Amino acid sequence: MTIVIFELPDGTQRKVTAEPGTVLMQAAVSNGVDGIVAECGGNASCATCHVYVDARHTELVGPPNDVEDEMLDFTAAERRPTSRLSCQIQLSDALDGLLVHVPEEQV
Amino acid sequence: MNAVTTAAPGAPVVELDLAELRHDPYPAYRELRRTAPLAWVPSVGRHLLTRYEDIVHAEKLPEVFSSREEGSLLLRTVGPNLLREDDPDHRRLRSAAEPPTRPRQVRDLWAGAFERTAHQLLDRIAGRGEADLIRDFAEPLAAANLALVLGLSNASADDIADWSRAMMAGNSNYADDPDVWLRAEGATRAIEEAVAETAGRVRREPDGSVISSMVHADGPVTLAEIQNNVKVIIGGGVNEPRDVFGVGAQALLHRPEVLDRVLKDPALWKRVFEETARWISPIGMYPRQLTQDHEIAGVPLPAGSRVALVIASGNRDESVFERADEFDVDRPHHPHLAFGGGPHFCMGAWVARHEVSALAWPLVFGRLKGLRPTDSPADHLEGWVFRGLTSLNVTWQTS
Ligand code: FES
Repeated sequence: MTIVIFELPDGTQRKVTAEPGTVLMQAAVSNGVDGIVAECGGNASCATCHVYVDARHTELVGPPNDVEDEMLDFTAAERRPTSRLSCQIQLSDALDGLLVHVPEEQV
Repeated sequence: MNAVTTAAPGAPVVELDLAELRHDPYPAYRELRRTAPLAWVPSVGRHLLTRYEDIVHAEKLPEVFSSREEGSLLLRTVGPNLLREDDPDHRRLRSAAEPPTRPRQVRDLWAGAFERTAHQLLDRIAGRGEADLIRDFAEPLAAANLALVLGLSNASADDIADWSRAMMAGNSNYADDPDVWLRAEGATRAIEEAVAETAGRVRREPDGSVISSMVHADGPVTLAEIQNNVKVIIGGGVNEPRDVFGVGAQALLHRPEVLDRVLKDPALWKRVFEETARWISPIGMYPRQLTQDHEIAGVPLPAGSRVALVIASGNRDESVFERADEFDVDRPHHPHLAFGGGPHFCMGAWVARHEVSALAWPLVFGRLKGLRPTDSPADHLEGWVFRGLTSLNVTWQTS
């Protein structure tokens, strides 16, 4: 099991567990984490599953893929160097303890 | 799985008059949300699902709420297509068709031509001082832009608009009128020819269009698949941007104080777009068919049951949107359902956002000074499966 922590805009944290191999967006949605809308169900076409990966983990998580990189220009909250689409991050044992920040807005 | 074309045992049955729904479906939806959030409606031949949360639940379970609905009018009109497929076939077609509609492509490839077309259409009417902004502007703009994005340089905006209308009539031909079928068949045959010709051209010279993208896709896509999917895109692709344009423009024309604020702060156009799509959703509902037994809104539905996800109703759900019947650009941001959700999330969303909120509205309100509506707000508004203005008559100063 991989543990991931979502920090909401008000500072509260939600800790969820997920099977390695699940995508981060799915871990949020199936645990009802507020602020991950994911309108397109994980196909990198809606930009409503935006997260900021905590600075400590950005290198580990890696950069966005091409399709995702384009979509990140169109997120509701500002794009930062740590921006990723949570539907494009696949969880693995290596990401155990991952901390991501949920932006103020998704739509 | 065969479709079950009767009410599920235990589902409340509610009679609704289709003519009344066409005129104004919202009072009926309010009552359904309150008393029977899943109800069998005989005139529609489906269970109507009307609450926000239940619709979101269904959209998140495409493997249960399948898009393969048997005997749908859309299948009869255009043949097998991505809207009525599930993954993996849906995925293969969608990935082939989608790249030209993604936001960066819209900005880099299409935005310039969209803007030129919009100016040309306004040049034609600017000196007149009056127009029907649907017929004279929004519809030809949507049709011309669609032809461009699809790659159909061999079709005029009028062709596209005519074909779209003929197919949409087929899709809602519940009365089985043979003339309607005849016209729809004429349109689909013409599209097949235009697509075949275009496919030959872009095979040699790729042009970034949807047809070109499908022809050169990694996963194999047949000509028939390209033809059918272009039909679907033409069927829906004209009226959605046209209807958001019309409803939003009318809402502002009748709310001068909001219009003033938007003109001073163009960043608000984006809010106007999303709020318009929520308030009067251009697509009001779409059908799903259950692949297995599943309980929703307290009713156990057997496999094969037909359910209509009434997104127009979900978007007025007062448990999610306060004063949901009001058009309010300042309401707290909350995701609406107008573009659908899950794998079928509207492919045209980014094209429409740009074409309407970044282009059409600012240009119309910027160029036509002193724009005033000559209709009252309820005039020319109709439809429930698709809803929008059939006309938007306005006047402006010409000197
Ligand atoms: S869920 Fe739509 S982009 Fe991630």
